[in-house]
Amino acid sequence: MASRPLRKSRQAQVLRLPTSLRSVDSRQAPADAPELWVGAHIQSLGSGASLEKLATRAQRFTPRVSLIPPDGLLLEVKGSLHLFNGIDGLLRSFHSDCRMLGIESTTALAPTPLAAQVAARVGEPFVVTNKAQLTGRLTAMPLVTLRWPDDVVQRLARMGVRTIGQALRLPRAGFARRFGPEHLAELDRMTGRNADLRHHFQPRERFRRRRELTYEMESNETILAALAPMLADLGRFLEARQVGITELECRLRHRHAPPSVCVLRLAAPQANVARLTELLGERLNALVLPEPVRSCELRSGLPVLRELSSNPLWQPGEYGGTAAGSESSQLVERLRARLGHEAVYSLQVLQAHRPERAWSMQEPMLANPRGLASPAVNGAARMRGTETPALRGAGTDLPWGSFRRPLWLLPTPQQLEELDGVPRRRGTLRFFGDVERIETGWWDGGEIGRDYYTVFDIYGVQLWIFRERADPHRWFLHGVFG
Amino acid sequence: MAVPLEIARLLEHPAIWRGTSVARTEVLSSGFAALDERLPGGGWPRSGLIEILTPRFGVGELTLFLPLLGALTSAPTARSAVWVAPPLEPFAPALAAHGVALERILVVRVPDALRSGALWAFEQSLTSGACDFVMAWAKGPRAKEIRRLQLAAEQGRALGVLFRPLQAARESSHALLRMAIEPSAFGVRVNLLKSKGGVRGTVELDLTAGGS
Repeated sequence: MASRPLRKSRQAQVLRLPTSLRSVDSRQAPADAPELWVGAHIQSLGSGASLEKLATRAQRFTPRVSLIPPDGLLLEVKGSLHLFNGIDGLLRSFHSDCRMLGIESTTALAPTPLAAQVAARVGEPFVVTNKAQLTGRLTAMPLVTLRWPDDVVQRLARMGVRTIGQALRLPRAGFARRFGPEHLAELDRMTGRNADLRHHFQPRERFRRRRELTYEMESNETILAALAPMLADLGRFLEARQVGITELECRLRHRHAPPSVCVLRLAAPQANVARLTELLGERLNALVLPEPVRSCELRSGLPVLRELSSNPLWQPGEYGGTAAGSESSQLVERLRARLGHEAVYSLQVLQAHRPERAWSMQEPMLANPRGLASPAVNGAARMRGTETPALRGAGTDLPWGSFRRPLWLLPTPQQLEELDGVPRRRGTLRFFGDVERIETGWWDGGEIGRDYYTVFDIYGVQLWIFRERADPHRWFLHGVFG
Repeated sequence: MAVPLEIARLLEHPAIWRGTSVARTEVLSSGFAALDERLPGGGWPRSGLIEILTPRFGVGELTLFLPLLGALTSAPTARSAVWVAPPLEPFAPALAAHGVALERILVVRVPDALRSGALWAFEQSLTSGACDFVMAWAKGPRAKEIRRLQLAAEQGRALGVLFRPLQAARESSHALLRMAIEPSAFGVRVNLLKSKGGVRGTVELDLTAGGS
């Protein structure tokens, strides 16, 4: 990459800084800067294009690509200039890449990343390879391009400081005191007085493998056996990157019919091939194939960081062992693989008076016991927000106070037959207890006006029924006390 | 029952197991004193399968398990409590009012098209080791399948409850406990049809007092 070896400054040697930090020695500034940055300012992103896509493409110029969201990209190209016919050739190639992705951008070349970025934002041709010339070329740039907070820019403007050059001429100590040392540090990084370290962009790859089968397959076992080497590849892929996947798609192609697709969605990032194979097998069993399979393909979703953990000494259930979160997430995944994603849910109470809105389904909590909550669980708790206070035997906090609620609710109220205005269900109903009036929801269109009664039917089953307040005063069954 | 001292000492011998004693198994209080007295060991078994036979849905069979459900889900090392194929929607506010920790509840719906899907989900939940308590409303399990479920419950250290119609009382079963539940004036009449290591008989329970 950089053609000349880097020297550590005396300070760096004292601090034992590694050379890989690429610290720039300001006192011995070379005529030809050790780094050369291309700054790209994106003016418009075409449909489907993203900064990440451009960054992935730009990695053909250099491995040192940094993102500056939302609209900036930096490339360190010192070492690779000669491969692309110098500065002009490289910039031409970069612009043609941008055009291919439907991106319009302006570029600039400077020895420091910040200077390259600022100059690209100005949009005029700017190529500086020598650090000695850098400050001089930057002086005329407007200060706004640094994107400092508005009040800082306005305060500087009131002092008559509108360009970078004017800011650089201000006394350093006073500038740091009045506008904050971080802004002074930024100016220093821009002019190359201080080193500017950037994180390198690393693309997130997906796993994708396709296999043509030697003969057409029909049975699930043989298909799963054919998928096995690809799944093993997937395991190695995930292991090497220390990541897991939450989505895996398996496409089975046929001779005529459109490909059969089964998508595996996982509750927690998974990297265990045996588990994935088991779940995929479950999914394939549920799949009806229109024709024999000619080729199969595996595609993973975006890999996500997996929680790495060590196995506990005690097994779950043993004395001293805790209920492991992994077991419950495995159970949920296995059930969902066979019964469908929506088939498994947890419950929560909502603070609402209407019975049908007083509860809702909730994503199952796949967690360790209370007190050892994982970040995902904290997130879920935040998401639920204020709607669900911890309700444990706290009947008085709820809007319905001390009124009894049935253990079972009908998905939709079921109309009861009547005899002279008295409801019947498999015989006469015996009324007992208080009547509760629920009249609410007028503000959101889901208005209800109901009088709820508790009744026994002739078999001794306790039912929760209501009578409409409005005409025609029909009776409905809404719950069973169970 | 007064037992002479020598016989009492003899009975303490570890090699002697008595028919009515199940002190070796862990039990959970049912929350109803009258029922605890009758159950072998003084409560519901910690793991195993219970069959509940009812003449029709909703006679009080779920209320019978509410104290247990509340105690199990709010324990510090609680595992999940799974409801497999319940006939209606479990109403969360009522459960919360009875002290059930809702985040431990897992409801599993089984599509009608999937034959024996409920039994499969029941067995998976019991054997997973991720559940304390699994309730299932399954249609027509055969004696062989009930034996499988009993073994799965022991393996996963879970208590399984299978709700079935009263007609099933004629079939034999491998479940630890088998009881028929009928509504009575104040609560339910529990008829212990089979009780491994316990006594059979009928108990009257007042659900309004013990339930909440």
